[in-house]
Amino acid sequence: MSQTADADIDAVAELEQRAAAKEDALAEWFRARGRVAIGFSGGVDSAYLAVAARRTLGSENVLAIIGRSASYPAEQWATARRVADSFDVEVLELDTDEMNDPRYSANPANRCYFCKTELWGKLVPAAAARGFHTVVDGTNADDVGGYRPGMQAARENTVASPLAEVGFSKEEIRARSRALGLPTWQQPASPCLSSRLPYGTSVTPERLRLVERAERAVRELGISGDMRVRYHDDVARIELAPAELTTWLDPRRAEELRAAVAAAGFSRVALDLRGFRSGSLNVLHGVTTA
Amino acid sequence: MSIFTSMGQAEARRRADQLAASLAGMGVPCKVEPRAALAVLMVESGVAQRLADGELRRAALALAREQGFTHLAVELTAPAAGADATLPRP
Repeated sequence: MSQTADADIDAVAELEQRAAAKEDALAEWFRARGRVAIGFSGGVDSAYLAVAARRTLGSENVLAIIGRSASYPAEQWATARRVADSFDVEVLELDTDEMNDPRYSANPANRCYFCKTELWGKLVPAAAARGFHTVVDGTNADDVGGYRPGMQAARENTVASPLAEVGFSKEEIRARSRALGLPTWQQPASPCLSSRLPYGTSVTPERLRLVERAERAVRELGISGDMRVRYHDDVARIELAPAELTTWLDPRRAEELRAAVAAAGFSRVALDLRGFRSGSLNVLHGVTTA
Repeated sequence: MSIFTSMGQAEARRRADQLAASLAGMGVPCKVEPRAALAVLMVESGVAQRLADGELRRAALALAREQGFTHLAVELTAPAAGADATLPRP
């Protein structure tokens, strides 16, 4: 076996060991609280958090709460329900109404603050009414340094972030998710649909449905990695993983991509030449740098 | 803050035209539509495929950055009626 392969195996083993140690610390965190309610989206982080809590505390002491609105993709809801069913996690679903908050729908750079204020403002009392006085979210250690106004709303509502507290990185969460058999272990990051609209472009259910249809159409072409369809009025700007760009600039594939997104409702379709980047629209507006 | 938030349309147009001229000089003839800090390239059939070349793409992105654009995208256009998109045009 080559030295490179040996080094890769060592790195994986080291990652798994580190992640397992953090899972032990997370279990201690849960045991100290006794019962927890989780803001549950079905994304990589909250799915792992819910399953880890369930394994530590038992099903009667864990409640996964889904906040449903137009900005929450239907496919992610289906994933959330599938994970909960498979791992015997009790679920409560609440409707949230951020779309009717003009401070949210105007789509300012701190839009997430208003969304999370609405979410936690409903979720925390609903949890307390069922005897859950500790509410947690899936913020991980990698999230802490970025521009995330939603985290302020979590703090204001005394929502804890145990993954971040015990230092879990996204890579470590994926490693433990894989070890536990979660289907989300290699799922791409999946922020809410409003993140596809540039700041200042008002958020409406129609625009979110348009983006959701377009992204579903792109996925149906077989693209499974990181991908976004960004809304620029009549133009859909597609961000694919950089390694995919050569394939999808081939005339035949480019036409498949254009036709699929056009059929979803965009009159013009453009392919981003840098490719996917998380927080792309923050860069576009100078909120963060490239 | 993006320079485009404080820039007039005339300046954005000027930068877009400069980018188009630079791209034409490296074999990517196009028009450039400025949309804030996003530049959308409008190209003739077959030109988008040239950007499949990673080196050329990186050079195009660098030129866009020089003009203040943080994002560069190429518009995908439907093939002209009767054209066979699977064959390179002579």
